[in-house]
Amino acid sequence: MPDTGADAPPALSLSGLSRSFGDTRALDDVSLDIREGEFFTVVGPSGSGKTTLLRILAGLDRPTAGTLHLRGRDIAGLPPNKRPTAMVFQSLALFDHRSVGENVAFALKMRGVGAEARRTKALELLDLVRLPRDYHDRPVTQCSGGERQRVALARALASDPEILFFDEPLSALDYRLRKTLEVELRDLQKRTGRTFVYITHSLEEAMVMSDRIGIMRDGRLVQVGDPATIYGRPRDRFVARFMGEVNVFEIAGGRLPAFDAPAPAQDGWLIVRPEALAPDAGDVQFDATVTDIYRLGSRVQMHLDTAAGTLIAELPASTRLAEGDAARFGFAVADTHRVAE
Amino acid sequence: MIRRLGLVWLTALIALMYLPILSVILASLSTSRYMRFPHRQWSTGAYVDAVSQDQTWILHATSFKIAALVAVLSLILATFGAMAFARYDWRGRSWFQKAVVLPIFFPQPVLGLALLLFLTAIGVTPSWRSAVFAHMVWILPIVTLVISIRLFGYDPAQEDAARDLGATRWQTFREVTLPHLAPGMVSGGLFAFLLSWSNLPLSIFTTGADTTLPEYMFTRVATNYAPVISAIAVIATLGSVALGLVLLLALRLRRRS
Ligand SMILES: Nc1ncnc2c1ncn2[C@@H]1O[C@H](COP(=O)(O)OP(=O)(O)OP(=O)(O)O)[C@@H](O)[C@H]1O
Ligand SMILES: [Mg+2]
Repeated sequence: MPDTGADAPPALSLSGLSRSFGDTRALDDVSLDIREGEFFTVVGPSGSGKTTLLRILAGLDRPTAGTLHLRGRDIAGLPPNKRPTAMVFQSLALFDHRSVGENVAFALKMRGVGAEARRTKALELLDLVRLPRDYHDRPVTQCSGGERQRVALARALASDPEILFFDEPLSALDYRLRKTLEVELRDLQKRTGRTFVYITHSLEEAMVMSDRIGIMRDGRLVQVGDPATIYGRPRDRFVARFMGEVNVFEIAGGRLPAFDAPAPAQDGWLIVRPEALAPDAGDVQFDATVTDIYRLGSRVQMHLDTAAGTLIAELPASTRLAEGDAARFGFAVADTHRVAE
Repeated sequence: MIRRLGLVWLTALIALMYLPILSVILASLSTSRYMRFPHRQWSTGAYVDAVSQDQTWILHATSFKIAALVAVLSLILATFGAMAFARYDWRGRSWFQKAVVLPIFFPQPVLGLALLLFLTAIGVTPSWRSAVFAHMVWILPIVTLVISIRLFGYDPAQEDAARDLGATRWQTFREVTLPHLAPGMVSGGLFAFLLSWSNLPLSIFTTGADTTLPEYMFTRVATNYAPVISAIAVIATLGSVALGLVLLLALRLRRRS
């Protein structure tokens, strides 16, 4: 069991990591400590450098600048096969000329484990990822998307890695299966106490699973924090927009020009989450017409046509408002968050 | 009706393809220098002559030596060539891709002549060894292409995955890349062997004092034909057919195990 005491070195310590491809700065001066046993999620738009970051952590690519320490040990020069890490690839990268069992036990074979022991271990891992044992001898090419996903997971676990990397492992799956696997992954992480570094496009996935989230933009890590902080106190408009739909109002001269109301700061931007908007509530109020309604299960999201442009509100599904209705909406300044840029 | 027409068409096509080969077999069963059918006298004497004369085996040995070397060398070089061709991105790759396939477009006699001039210029006496080189100039590009096809539509992340799971570079090549390339390598090697085994235009220019089977047949038919030539031709054909069958069988057996 790794040492997880307060003064233990971080599982991974990144300092000034950069990677350029020609003129593209895919990774730009990233510094970060990933704690032992942590579920750390990296989110960011397409092309923001998430995969590049993970490949460098796994040793599959080299940074053009910066250092990387694993539990205090410099691993910059260590090839991927010498690192105690394993990765679930964005494309899964299963060995397509091999059976499920051979895929799962690959790491063991590379270590010279005998065929019998490999089989036993592979079957255990199939149990762990909830694949039927008789899949052991099936060609991977005959597995469904969700099954392949599990094979990839089992294969990464087989090497008994101290740190696991996941590059959008669930992106290709349908909603229900994704939900199930999200819970299972989180569960697995808790049970094994391993450090997980997880990439996703999905805000929801990040919120559900992570201890901490790092937001990437154009190769930079723009904010790191626990889900509540990232959601409630985004550093700037980009992070706020990335973490879900928001209403953004400019602050000028200590006022909100959109509503001609006083603002909690001299300048910057006011972030108002859709759930902060409600009919006949709050200290900033305005007239609105409901233009569209989307049902999200227990909640509804509506688009409001207002003097300040189109706003988004989220209300309990019990609301009686319908498309075309006019109402007075408002929000409490205390429920909002101000950012400088 | 259309199906019947299709069947007739197919039969005609196959007959056209195989009749010439059949006629060689028929010619080998004659006693006459003149090709005339039906034979006045059927005989297997040509085969007795063919099998008992050393020259038959020397010809086979020469052709086999060349073809086997060409196949093995092409296979090794083409495998790495294909990886450079299709797998890795590097400066000058597109230039390399064009340079590699270019020799296929030269008419073989032109290529043969050019190679002969080149060999003379650098002071190499043409022999079966220089023919190996000549064959490879033309065959290597083809084998490279055949193997490259396997590499398109191949997720190179598999190699990253292998490395990540503890495989060394060599293990990665052996466990992931090679098995993926294997089918292309088998057909590529087979192609190389057969193309070399049956090559005439390049051999004529570059074998010097040595003689390959196709060369021998060509010169004897032109100057001094006898049924024994046809008999040797049939034996040579049986040789390459047998090779194909053995390979197929070996593959079948491997897949089963
Ligand atoms: N091998 C490479 N050669 C050149 N440019 C590259 C290479 N790999 C990545 N890039 C560039 O680096 C940037 C970051 O790419 P990366 O794959 O890390 O993005 P990502 O955040 O994983 O995106 P996605 O969410 O779409 O997977 C992109 O602009 C990409 O085009
Ligand atoms: Mg990516």
